[in-house]
Amino acid sequence: MSLLETTIQTLIFPGLLFILSYALFSQWILRKAAARLQNRIGPLHTGWKGILQPLADFIKLLVKEDITPAAADKTVFDYSPLIIFALPLAATFLIPIQSITNLWGFNPVASFEGDLIMVLFLMSIIVLAIFLGGWGSGNPYGAIGATRVALMMLAYEIPLGLVAISPAILAQSLSIRKIVDWQVSSFNAFLSGPSLQGIVLAGVLSIGFGIYIVCLLAELELRPFDMSEAETEIVHGWQVEYSGKKLALLNAGHDIKMVLAASLLTSLFLGGPSGPLLPPIVWYIVKTTFCVLVLSNLSVLFARLRIDQLVSGAWKYLVPLAVLQVMAIVSMAGVI
Amino acid sequence: MTERGGEEMSERQFIIPIGPQHPALKEPESFYFTVDGEVIVDVEPRIGYNHRGIEKAMESRTYIQNLYIVERVCGICSNAHQTAYTGAVEEVAGIEIPERAKYIRVLMHELERIHSHLLWLGVAAHEIGFDTLFYYVWRDRELVMDLLEEISGNRVNYAMATIGGVRRDINKDNFTRWNKVLDTLAERTNYYIRVASTEKTILDRAVGVGYLSKSDMIRLSGCGPNARSSGVPCDIRAISPYLLYDEIPFEHIYVDNGDVLGQVLVRVLETLEATKICKWVLKNIPEGEIATKFNPMSKVPEGEAVYLVEAQRGELIHYTISNGSNMPYRHKIRAPTLANIPSLVERLKGGYIADIPIVLAGIDPCFSCTDRMVFYDEGKDKSWSWNEEQLRRYSLEWHEK
Repeated sequence: MSLLETTIQTLIFPGLLFILSYALFSQWILRKAAARLQNRIGPLHTGWKGILQPLADFIKLLVKEDITPAAADKTVFDYSPLIIFALPLAATFLIPIQSITNLWGFNPVASFEGDLIMVLFLMSIIVLAIFLGGWGSGNPYGAIGATRVALMMLAYEIPLGLVAISPAILAQSLSIRKIVDWQVSSFNAFLSGPSLQGIVLAGVLSIGFGIYIVCLLAELELRPFDMSEAETEIVHGWQVEYSGKKLALLNAGHDIKMVLAASLLTSLFLGGPSGPLLPPIVWYIVKTTFCVLVLSNLSVLFARLRIDQLVSGAWKYLVPLAVLQVMAIVSMAGVI
Repeated sequence: MTERGGEEMSERQFIIPIGPQHPALKEPESFYFTVDGEVIVDVEPRIGYNHRGIEKAMESRTYIQNLYIVERVCGICSNAHQTAYTGAVEEVAGIEIPERAKYIRVLMHELERIHSHLLWLGVAAHEIGFDTLFYYVWRDRELVMDLLEEISGNRVNYAMATIGGVRRDINKDNFTRWNKVLDTLAERTNYYIRVASTEKTILDRAVGVGYLSKSDMIRLSGCGPNARSSGVPCDIRAISPYLLYDEIPFEHIYVDNGDVLGQVLVRVLETLEATKICKWVLKNIPEGEIATKFNPMSKVPEGEAVYLVEAQRGELIHYTISNGSNMPYRHKIRAPTLANIPSLVERLKGGYIADIPIVLAGIDPCFSCTDRMVFYDEGKDKSWSWNEEQLRRYSLEWHEK
């Protein structure tokens, strides 16, 4: 890979610029879909059917006044939005999307054995940054929101990691790229000669898909797990003191996190960006948009749970289910 | 009330202020919560942020002018206030209102109840983070709002009642259409009853939350749907009927859940009853005059009267004293929220921070109805009130300091 190629991949496609615009697009999809489900119209005026509204909001926040409260810990308060913005962006570089030299190839910007662990690690660090950002804002609501974020991590982190491991066990690799390759080859093998074992495996993996979606709803602080920002209880929780540029970064960071979540779902369970007839980038957008739609659909269906209900529910149902799923996968893969 | 930061507080406890400005409160009011982790230990309500001197203002206006002031005590229960006010004044003045006027007053009263309860259901759904239900309920609420606008010309502050009857007649050509709207409302309400009693996440947030037993509720003298959710049968329409409520067949609704779910159920079931009452009114309304003549400048004989109305939020009391002039000597309003605050405080204790919004919203608080200004000197144990002029002088002096 030449230096020019790497630069283009990092900064333009499928790196920074593409991910940012796709994140704003996903926000629009989420808002529009949720609005239609709730019998509203959603963004309407900026661009076609309001498609540019997220961008307009982003630019508007960038030019707004940026206030730092006197009680805030200045360093933490200033840097946590940057971290919350940068880390999910860095994690998307490990997701296979589209090669820029080969129309039918899909290479992540960076790939190495164990990058799945890296992505999961980055996602945990984001939570830590959120906790510090909320705590450092010097606001009681911010502090409550921050502790809730940390408590929520206790609930969803374990099943999230467990379920992400099961495709890796099957592919016998911790590289996302290789997991995608395994899915493609085994799916093709299944198509040429369907077997009962393949159907059972798909069933077990779809349980994992379900668990993963529930965990991602909590990770993304979407309903019913948005207790960390619950505006009727704690006035947007850990974000309460952020304004201007910092809030713009936080919002963009949240959108990128949503893209990352959808990409992970796609890469681990839906065969990544591969598909017949069309180039990978199209399949990537179709599949991740489907995941975003699933997330938005679920987020309008429920009332917000309490933090204790989430934690006890996760440890009573999600963790045992995730363990069972991994055990089933292990016994089927014959790895033991 | 205990003093804030009193000696009894342990080191683990701290105070979070909710209000006067907070998204969970639709009106300015302040609550200091002493919390231990996520659990509420003590609550201190501070009311009085929304005092507007309405009772005092009424004393310097004629009875007819007061009709419009009393309506603006509250935006949601404006018609209930007017019903109670006109009822009290008519009793002092000895005016008998025509039958048809009674029917129209009941119709407005019940339509307003439907609109208020649906509004509350939407707000409650929003407080527990169920925005989808909120949007659906408020969409359906537009049906009754349109109906109210068609009848009175206004979406709120209908200005329908006057002393001696009502100001506008209703046309029976529209009754079939209105009946259809009421049918749709009843159907939607049935749907919400089903949603509220079966949807898992709602039940998670409502069952057992803010529980208060029947005996505690009686001891703390709550009223309205708040008390009826704890199994206290206290609907004024049933136990002390006014207007036509002794003739109307309707069910006196109370449940013994005692929690937020009970409050939801009481209100949705009452909405259903209200649609039935409206249909009964449209079916049985007699022809005739809509008002007996009352001269705006005429004097009202000396006397006093109390009129009780079941407003949407509970028992609303209007007490008027006439000294024989054309203005009330004193008019006292006791709004239901004031009676519900002690039970609200009790409901909040021992709960979680996350449940504060829904329990607060559970009594359907209306602080603009409630706020009064009375000075109380703890040392000398005496209280007094100021009139408008004294208050103005005090504010000027205070700002000059």
